[in-house]
Amino acid sequence: MIWKTAWKNVWRNKVRSLVVIISVTIGIFGGVFAVAIMNGAIAQRVDAALNQEISHIHINDKAFRDNYDIQLTIPDGEQILKEIEEMPGVSAVAPRIQITGMASTATKSAGVEIIGIDPEREKKVLNLYDTTIPGTGDFFESESSSLTAYIGQELAKELNIIRYIVDEDVLAALTGKEVPGEVLNKLTPFVGIRFKNEKAFKKALKGSLTLKEQRNFGKSIRDAAWSFRSRSKMTLTFLDKTQMQTGAVFRIAGIYDVRNSMFEMSQVFVKNEDLIPLTGMAPGEFHQLVVRIDDLEATEEITAALKDKLPDLEVMDWKEIQPDLAMMTDMVQRFYAFFMVIILAALAFGIVNTMLMVVLERTKELGMLTAIGMNKKRVFSMIMLESVFLSLVGGVLGMIISQVLIGITARNGINFSNYQEGLEALGYTSHIYPAISMPFFITVTVLIILTGILSSIYPALKALKLDPAEALRTD
Amino acid sequence: MNNIILAWRNLWRNRRRTLITSASVFFAVLFALFMRSLQLGSYDHMYKNVIESYTGYIQVQQKDFWEDKIVDNSFPYDLQLDQKILEDENVVATIPRFESFALASNGPQTKGVLVMGVDPEKEKNLSKVRDRMVKYRLTPEAIDRIKQDPGIPAKVKELTELFENSAYTNASRLQLDLGITDKDAPDIMPAVERHSHFENGAIQLGEPGVWVGDKLSEYLQLGIGDTIVLISQGYHASTAAGKYEIKGIVKLPLPDIDNKIVYLPLDICQGLFNAENNLTSLALAVNDNEDKAILETMNRIKSLLSPELRLMEWREMNEVMVSQMDADNKSGMIMIGILYLVIAFGVFGTVLMLTAERKREFGVLVAIGMQKKKLASIMTIEMLLIGFLGIISGSLIASAIILYGVDHPLVFKGEFAKMFEEYGMEPMMAFTGIDTYFIWQVVIVAMMVFLAIGYPVRKIFGMKVVNALKA
Repeated sequence: MIWKTAWKNVWRNKVRSLVVIISVTIGIFGGVFAVAIMNGAIAQRVDAALNQEISHIHINDKAFRDNYDIQLTIPDGEQILKEIEEMPGVSAVAPRIQITGMASTATKSAGVEIIGIDPEREKKVLNLYDTTIPGTGDFFESESSSLTAYIGQELAKELNIIRYIVDEDVLAALTGKEVPGEVLNKLTPFVGIRFKNEKAFKKALKGSLTLKEQRNFGKSIRDAAWSFRSRSKMTLTFLDKTQMQTGAVFRIAGIYDVRNSMFEMSQVFVKNEDLIPLTGMAPGEFHQLVVRIDDLEATEEITAALKDKLPDLEVMDWKEIQPDLAMMTDMVQRFYAFFMVIILAALAFGIVNTMLMVVLERTKELGMLTAIGMNKKRVFSMIMLESVFLSLVGGVLGMIISQVLIGITARNGINFSNYQEGLEALGYTSHIYPAISMPFFITVTVLIILTGILSSIYPALKALKLDPAEALRTD
Repeated sequence: MNNIILAWRNLWRNRRRTLITSASVFFAVLFALFMRSLQLGSYDHMYKNVIESYTGYIQVQQKDFWEDKIVDNSFPYDLQLDQKILEDENVVATIPRFESFALASNGPQTKGVLVMGVDPEKEKNLSKVRDRMVKYRLTPEAIDRIKQDPGIPAKVKELTELFENSAYTNASRLQLDLGITDKDAPDIMPAVERHSHFENGAIQLGEPGVWVGDKLSEYLQLGIGDTIVLISQGYHASTAAGKYEIKGIVKLPLPDIDNKIVYLPLDICQGLFNAENNLTSLALAVNDNEDKAILETMNRIKSLLSPELRLMEWREMNEVMVSQMDADNKSGMIMIGILYLVIAFGVFGTVLMLTAERKREFGVLVAIGMQKKKLASIMTIEMLLIGFLGIISGSLIASAIILYGVDHPLVFKGEFAKMFEEYGMEPMMAFTGIDTYFIWQVVIVAMMVFLAIGYPVRKIFGMKVVNALKA
């Protein structure tokens, strides 16, 4: 009965209620959608880390991670590999050699981690191979008589392996992408020039395009002029097991793009069989085992089992390898809650005001109700329910709208290409698929109800203080 | 004047409503200012860190160096040009540098490093690398000494273990990590400082010797007095190799650079790369670092340079960071936007009720001869007063917090601090002082109030007196 009365009361002054409802709707929608974008970005980051960068569990010598000493291989590695492979819950294991070295081309050099892998096994623990940029080759699939390396896009740019060339094809492709003729005309002087790297090309574009043109078309132009000469090569230099400087020329097998500049800049993959002869290591020796498991939920259990099994080695799960990943998720969750609470607090002011108005407006009516025997508890709950209804209607509307919009945007993602460089430097992609979990909606619903209750307390107390006789006399 | 008095009295007729509406505006202003101050302050702090410990505001470079950072793209150090640049009114000092990439090694450990040839005297004007020297370090021996000291409380002794091997460039961070309050500091800190004191040597022009970043020294397991080997490619494809004694450890507030920096005396570095008397950059220390002043300085200096040289501004040299800050800035603005939208509806709702509630009163006033125009202007003033009450109280409280915060930035400890460092950030958040962003928040809130006023004003002008009296 009280529920019904409260609900009907909401609609007695439609305009006033709608203002409150709309403000709650907007607040909840804005908050939830902003959270969905951040949440999506983090989920993608974790996903990329687990599937392209680190996988689930690493096993290596206890001192290996201190400074990647080449001497610290896993004793009886092959045997351990086989044993782990057969453990229940483990889906794949891959051996790795890891050496710190330098990659250089004729003009440039950079410090890198040289990672020796067994391509077939590696494919089962990580799907990095899937991120090969089309046209740059593959993940050690095609036969090659020379040594080959699989490198990241950022490193390729840094070493001038990727160049920028504008030719007729590029202009044609850009016409297809609706770049206006005016801009294309400005590009014609560049036809035939070979720009050594992205920065040089950007500088040239800066000189001839207006700021607006650069902003609108710069990225499409750079993507179109992006050029890679197949079978480019680079030299990898490092110290071998006897601490002598060694190295060899590697041809580029393929270039990957994981949208994480730091990873792309530092991780160079080569085949174990190519690397071993250079290092002075024995065939079958390696530094690290990368383990992929069937079920992510079982990470801790399997890590513990591996720790028991291999007391002399360091076993780390992904949370230990990249503690910032787990912590980031944690911190962002706290931030979401804080953000929603701030919005709800702002909404509460509006609700308190409205409810206060409601009570003052209905002084006579409330007096009448009390006079004919409605007890205080019921009066209190009637007002509280009205307030909860007000906020809940707006909240549910807001959540529905955000869910719909999240659904729409999640299909193609939202591209924050203006911030690509900055985001990728932190390891985040700029193409974000908003996502939200159901528990978050439940939390928000609870928070909304709480807001409704809290903001009705003061007005409801006001109503209780009314003296029926006095209230009846007001007009 | 009468209108204002009437409006003021009206406000206090329903004190509660006035206060609640003002409170919502107050809350929005307070929160927005607080958040903006933290955000802008953190950007300023990061820019300052990277500019003052690394790039400087302006650099002179060979025209292709930025695109292609190789030793061949260096330029001869021309003292005459140097003199001419120094004559510019805004230039305080010129800081010659030679930077390149090398492989650093200590037997089995190798790592790609950033080699920076500097003139230690001249660096004082910009990167103040001497202030970044490690002064205290909690080595296992230092921790032992602290533990044996009866004057130090047990809690502090416990905390030292958590920070084993941590390096400090100043005593205040050490004090914070060890959980020593300002009150206890005079009793405890001198002893702690004495036990954890770390002795560094200097590097000088003409004397081979290097300073290395704290993180790098940890990685290479090298300490003072040890030898570091540098291998790289020199000028015109010559081989560059040399070994140097480590004279000191520095700790830069940029972890990304701290884990790869090696400072060499300028002339020794030029010798290593076979590029005697060449520079890769000439950084300028400036007096006035406002954008406008920087731009003017650049324009003046540009005319002095040969076509082989060019000027780079800090924004161009830190593109990635500028883009990150920009993305963060935009997301902060969107959040404040949402908040303001919510508050705007709250204010509008109040206005709506206020109008409905006073319909009869308005009718009576007009019936006894008050002009609608006058009534509308009283209403307007009333609303503006409510808005300004919120704005002024909000900005006052925010100013108090911010002014306090400027001198007391939020400094993070423990795990949280580590995460910041993983992302290449210093574990602290600074506030920025009162600046133009204050005015913006006030303008936005004022606009919100103005929009809300439209409703009652329209109601008043469209009012039918007879109907209103019956309400």
